[in-house]
Formats: sequence, C-alpha cells, structure tokens
Amino acid sequence: MNDHSVCHTSNRKFWPSGGSMENHSVKDLMIPISEYATVVLGTSLADALDALEKSQKAHTANKYQHRAILVLDDNGDIVGKIGQLRALKAIEPRYDFNDKIQELKKYNFSEEYISQIRDRYRSEEPILDKEALKIIARKKVEEFMQKPKAGSFVSEQSTLDTAVHKLAAGRLQSLLVTRNKKIVGVLRMADVFSVVFHEIKVLEN
Amino acid sequence: MQILDKLFNRIVQRVNINLRELDFDITPFAGELIPPDQMIKFYAFYGITPDHPLDLRFDNSALAGSYFLGKCSIENSLLYKSDIRGDELKRKGQTFHYGKFDITLADDEIIAIEDSALIKTLVHNFSHDPETAEKFFIKDTLAMDYSNIHGAPSDGCFLGPFATVDLTTMRDSAIGAYSYVQAGEISHLNIAPGTVWVNSPGNFNFLYTYPVDPLAHYVSLSPENVPWGVLFDFIEQRKNEFQRVFDFVNLEPIASVPETASLDRFAVVLPNITIEDNVLVAQRAYLENSFLGKGSNAQENCFIVNSHLEGLNVTAHGAKIINARMGSGTFVGFNSFLQGKPESKLKIGKGCIVMPHTIIDIEEPLEIPSNHLVWGLVRNKKELAENSISLEQLSKIDTFFSQGRMHFEGQGNLFVKTFQDRIQHILDANGAFFENNNNEGHAQRNQNLSLNTIQPFYFGEKKGMYPSIKICP
Repeated sequence: MNDHSVCHTSNRKFWPSGGSMENHSVKDLMIPISEYATVVLGTSLADALDALEKSQKAHTANKYQHRAILVLDDNGDIVGKIGQLRALKAIEPRYDFNDKIQELKKYNFSEEYISQIRDRYRSEEPILDKEALKIIARKKVEEFMQKPKAGSFVSEQSTLDTAVHKLAAGRLQSLLVTRNKKIVGVLRMADVFSVVFHEIKVLEN
Repeated sequence: MQILDKLFNRIVQRVNINLRELDFDITPFAGELIPPDQMIKFYAFYGITPDHPLDLRFDNSALAGSYFLGKCSIENSLLYKSDIRGDELKRKGQTFHYGKFDITLADDEIIAIEDSALIKTLVHNFSHDPETAEKFFIKDTLAMDYSNIHGAPSDGCFLGPFATVDLTTMRDSAIGAYSYVQAGEISHLNIAPGTVWVNSPGNFNFLYTYPVDPLAHYVSLSPENVPWGVLFDFIEQRKNEFQRVFDFVNLEPIASVPETASLDRFAVVLPNITIEDNVLVAQRAYLENSFLGKGSNAQENCFIVNSHLEGLNVTAHGAKIINARMGSGTFVGFNSFLQGKPESKLKIGKGCIVMPHTIIDIEEPLEIPSNHLVWGLVRNKKELAENSISLEQLSKIDTFFSQGRMHFEGQGNLFVKTFQDRIQHILDANGAFFENNNNEGHAQRNQNLSLNTIQPFYFGEKKGMYPSIKICP
C-alpha cells in the first residue's frame, strides 16, 4: 500500500492490489458502528461533543478522524447523525436567519444578491458569543441531528460503484451501511475517494 | 342543509384541494365568513350603459349586495358585497400587446367567476394573461374582505383581507392579509401577511415585509375571530353613509361639480367638498371635508377625509387619506392608509410615490420631501428614514440595495419610470389633462349609467340564492 491508500483498523479488509472496484463490496470499506461515537436521544450537545472526543482518542490510527456522532434510540437503532456542519448550524444564535434568507429565494432574488445579504447580516451580528454558546451546549441532539433520508442507505453487499453513485447523486458525505435492514456501519466519502484515486493511479501507471 | 351552505362548503373544499401542496387550510377562516342571514338582506344590482356590452349570466349563485357591469358570468359562486367591474375589459377586434406578441381579440373579454367565494372584493381591470386574453377567470378561489383582484386571473387561490393581486396570474397560491403582489405570474406560493412584492423579471424586484406585531394593530386575522384592526374599524364607522347612497334610487346632487369633472352618483360626499376641473370621483369613493385640485382622481373604495389634494393626485383603489396635505402629482397606491392628525397634518411633497399597501400613521409631525418613494410602516421620522428614498437616488441604483426590511434588486431607473408611466397613464385615461376639448378622458365622458336590481329567494331551501338569469340587451 502506498501513501494514498486508506488506513484501516484490523477488522476491515485491505483493498486488494490489482482488483477492480466493481468486484468489491461496501463491506470492505465501511467503518463499523462500534468505532463511532454514539449517544442516545436526549443527550446534550456538550455531552455529545465529549463522546466524540473520547472516540477520536480511542481510534487514533485512522488517518481521517471520525467527525460525526451517531444518535441511537432506546432500541440501539440509529435515528440520526450530527456532522460538523450540523454542529456549526446549531451554534448559530439566529435560528430564523436561514429561513429569512430562504424567503428571498422564493421571491426571485438572485444568488448574488442573497449571498451579499447573508454576508451583511452576518457582519452585523457576530454569531459566536459566550452566552449563546452556553445555551446551545445545553440543547438536545434531536433538535439539530440529521435524520437518515431515503437514498442515504447502502447494503453492505453492494458494489463500490453503487456507493459512488449514491454519494454523488445525493451529494452526501457518507452512507449508512445496512445488513438485514439494520445499520451496521458508515461508508465515508473520504475512504471511497481514496480507493478510487488509488485505482486511477494504478491504471495510469 | 340549505343550498347556500352546501355551495359554500363545496367552494371551501375546492380551494383547500388546490392549496393542499402548501398545506394551507382555509376552513378556520371560512367558518364565520358568511352569516347566511346576511345573504338575504341585500339586493344585487347591475349597471346598464351605452358604452359597455351588456351580457350577464348568473347560475346557481348567491350575489348579496354585489354589483356587476359589462360582460360577466357567475357560476356556482357566492359573492357578498363585491364589485365586479367589467368597464375596462378588452373588446372584440382590439389588439392586446404582450411582450413580442400582438394578440387580436376574437371576442369581447368576459369576467368568468366559477366555484368561488368573494367577500367585499373588488374585481377590476382586464386579464393581463396572454394565454387567456378573452377570459378573465376567477376559479376555485376564496377572497376575503376588501381584497383587490386587479387584472389578475386566479385559479385555486386564497386572498386574505385587504390583499391585492395586481396584473398577475395566480395559481394554487395563498396571499396573506394586507399583502400586495405584482409579479406577472405566480404559482404554488404561500405569501405571508404584510408582504409587498413588485417583480418584473430581468428589470427589477422590490420586496418589503411588515413587522408582524405592528401590522396586527391595523389588520388582524385569526381562525377564532372575524378579521379586525384599525383598517376594519375605519371602514365600519363609515358604512351607514354608504347605506344611504345605495338605499335611494335618486339622490339630490350634494356638491357642485365643474362640467369637466365627474362625480359618481354612488360616491359618498360629505361637507365641505371642493371639486376642481378634470377631477374624477369613482363610485364608492368617500369624500369628506376635502379639496380635490385640478385633475385629481379618487378611485373606488378610497377615502379622502379632512385633506387637501393640490392637483393631479391619484388616490388608488381602497387608499385612505386622512388629515393630510398632498402636493401636486402624488400617487397613493392600493389600500394605503395615510393618517395625520387634525392639529398636525401629514405633509407629502409633490411628485411622491406612496407604494401600494403603505401605512403612514403619524406619532409626531411628519413631512415627506418632494419626489420620494415611500413604503411600509411609517409612524415617525426614524421609520421614514428607513422606509423611503428619493426618486433621484433610486434611479441611480443599477445592481441592488437594501434598507431596513426592504430589498431591491435591478434597475432603479426602470422601477421609477414604470411607476411614473403608469401614473401618467391613469391621469391621462381619467381626463386629468383635458384642455380646450383635447385629451378627453373618463371625467369628461359623463358615465351615463342606470341601475337595475335583482333579488334572492327569501324562503325555502334556496333561501339566499339567486335565480339563474341571463341578461342581454
């Protein structure tokens, strides 16, 4: 494996040299749920971030650190995910901010104008102050988690080209990997990209 | 259940079906809208003139207190104190210009109202939709008190009280209370109350949204209550004066009017009124203790009280001017509410354009400098600074700017020119520039009009409904 290959933990297979992408399944690349930070519904954002930090320390071998937190219900099933974007959105104190900007789109204002207005609003009102952060830290994860939507699932038996298609079509950062309708892992875009990139390099050489 | 109730429920359901994608349910607002007892209290009436086609068709409808002129067809509908004015409809053989198209009309245009309920609504002007040049349709629509459907065909829509849709075809859309929309064509839009939106794609785009709480003081709507607020109270307090005008077949003239001016017999005129040359006062205008300078016009449902209008002033449909001094050539748009105080009149400088649906209700002495555009809610100097701009400054905008709650994108000079051209056209059409037998307009063509009344069923299961009638010359 060269520098561009994916770093793996012991329970996942390496990408076999000389093999072609379509012959290999999602299972080869996914990260099992056990390696992720998980929290249950009702956890505060502060505690969720704590869980993420601990999980990252426990899996330092991974080149791309986990940056997402999975949210489980009482049955241990995944009901949501908090990525970095979600966490940042949660600390925006003006909850209606995005809604107001979205309204302008409805009334036919151009993207250029909307982006100008977004910058202006932002400069007028700094988004990060201590008071706001304290309030946000106490918010529950279900208030801002991303719920899995149709198109964000992939079976662990699927080939990688299916996964590439789903990531691209859904503009997703990751897919939830299923086995018998149960979520067993996460397939991250960064890992898929590395494999594809490696394959291209092999072909070029 | 009476036929009237069944009809109303059917209309409510049809509107709800059209608005299902917006998840907008009109049922809570519709509940108290039409007390069945009111539907037998008022007769309907229609105008006969030598100037407009007489072609009226009423089928399975209730029409209490409503007025019809020109070519209209009303089917499976419920109209209450509404004004269906077909005097500006296009005529057979006329050419309608739209973009690069010149559309020759194969028939006289008709206002066709189907499966709709209109409450105290004004339907006026003509269809600006090139796809249906001969038919100004209003279908599966509920329009609440004092809404304006001005040259705006509608299919599957809800208009809240005091909403105006102007020169825009609307489909499956909900227009909130006191909102004004002029956007050519809209579809599947839920427009929040107090939105003022003027969009000419590729040219300009103007948007203002009223702050929620202050607007509620003027216009309020909730599922539990009939609509209320300052604007409703203002009209309610003056309704007896209108009753007198409509109760008598012949009224003694109560103001001396120059030969070049026209005062409609169905306008309310209370002392002391001065009407100068080339003035046009439309029916259902309310004038009290005011001066209307040369070439001014007071359109339907407007109120001018304790005010001085210098000349060439346009007061559009439903606008209200109280305790004000208006410089020459000012324009006050649809449903605006301008109120000064008896001891401190609101002063509006010459050439000002008061946007449709503007509320100026002064808390301190206020003067708007000449040639300014004003919009939104203005109660003091601070709000005036936020909600106005000089026409000169606006004309220099060629990209975008925003001020307070207002957003503008596009060519400022085109926006100003479009308004000014429209104002000039209104004045010209109404005969404001008549001089030495030239530039004749509506004010000089004395509208010879007689009225007939029609009555509903007073008893039985058809109580409140009107017989199906076809009226032709």
